[in-house]
Amino acid sequence: MAAKRTMTLNLTDAEMQALDELSARKDISKTAVLRQALRLYQTIDARVEKGEKLLFENDATKEKAELMLL
Amino acid sequence: MTVEVSRVYLLDGGTGDGVEAELRDAIEQAQISDWERHWIPAILAAIQDLVARQVPHSGWPQSLHWCWPKKIARVQGLLAFRGFSVVAQGVTQGLAQLDLTKTCRELSQKGKPLIYVEYLEVAPWNRSELCVLPRLRGVGTVMLTAAVALSNEEGFKGRIGLHSLPQADAFYRKIGMTDLGPDPSYQNLRYFEMTVEQACAFFEKEEGR
Repeated sequence: MAAKRTMTLNLTDAEMQALDELSARKDISKTAVLRQALRLYQTIDARVEKGEKLLFENDATKEKAELMLL
Repeated sequence: MTVEVSRVYLLDGGTGDGVEAELRDAIEQAQISDWERHWIPAILAAIQDLVARQVPHSGWPQSLHWCWPKKIARVQGLLAFRGFSVVAQGVTQGLAQLDLTKTCRELSQKGKPLIYVEYLEVAPWNRSELCVLPRLRGVGTVMLTAAVALSNEEGFKGRIGLHSLPQADAFYRKIGMTDLGPDPSYQNLRYFEMTVEQACAFFEKEEGR
């Protein structure tokens, strides 16, 4: 297992609540939620940097919506 | 990045004796070199043999066209992807690339994160469909076990998923994964998933070997 470093994270109540909810719903620890978030954010950022767009498609209606990343 | 190396054991295809091997938690330049210098000539020879024996295309290993340098370059530097390699007898015996951002489809664990085995390939000389007598056995199982172990380390409780090439369908059923059927969004390949309970059973069985 790769060596890990510890950091202190300051979150608002709302952010902590969102983290708690994701942790419970995804059945992973809060640390794992944040590590997943970092992986996804880095992946999306790398693809957007290459000129790609992030689209969501409604499975039923096939309607597409672009997520604007600034 | 420091590469973690674990000692694992494979089986000699001829004698059945244990063969010491390294499981490396990365795919490095040495593996790319091995793929170019050893795998490609062996794959070309295997294709010639398949043609000579008039084996229909449907009977050819479906991964023969995989280009590992391209697969690795595509995910270079991204935290979402991890690689494993198995090295024995001085050469790379197997390669696997994993995606850590996918979620489960099986109803009991739908939406929960898993380790998705994007690509897993064993060196051509270890494949029973290409050789009468594979050189080493157990390479694929070692890499699959590593995927389950990584799933545990990441807090995903052993959950893994993969799309199987048709020749491997029976293997994934045999090790206890749930077959969710052909996936129309992925070349109609069958999608398999390992639940927490199946992962525990798989791990116990592998540790007992």
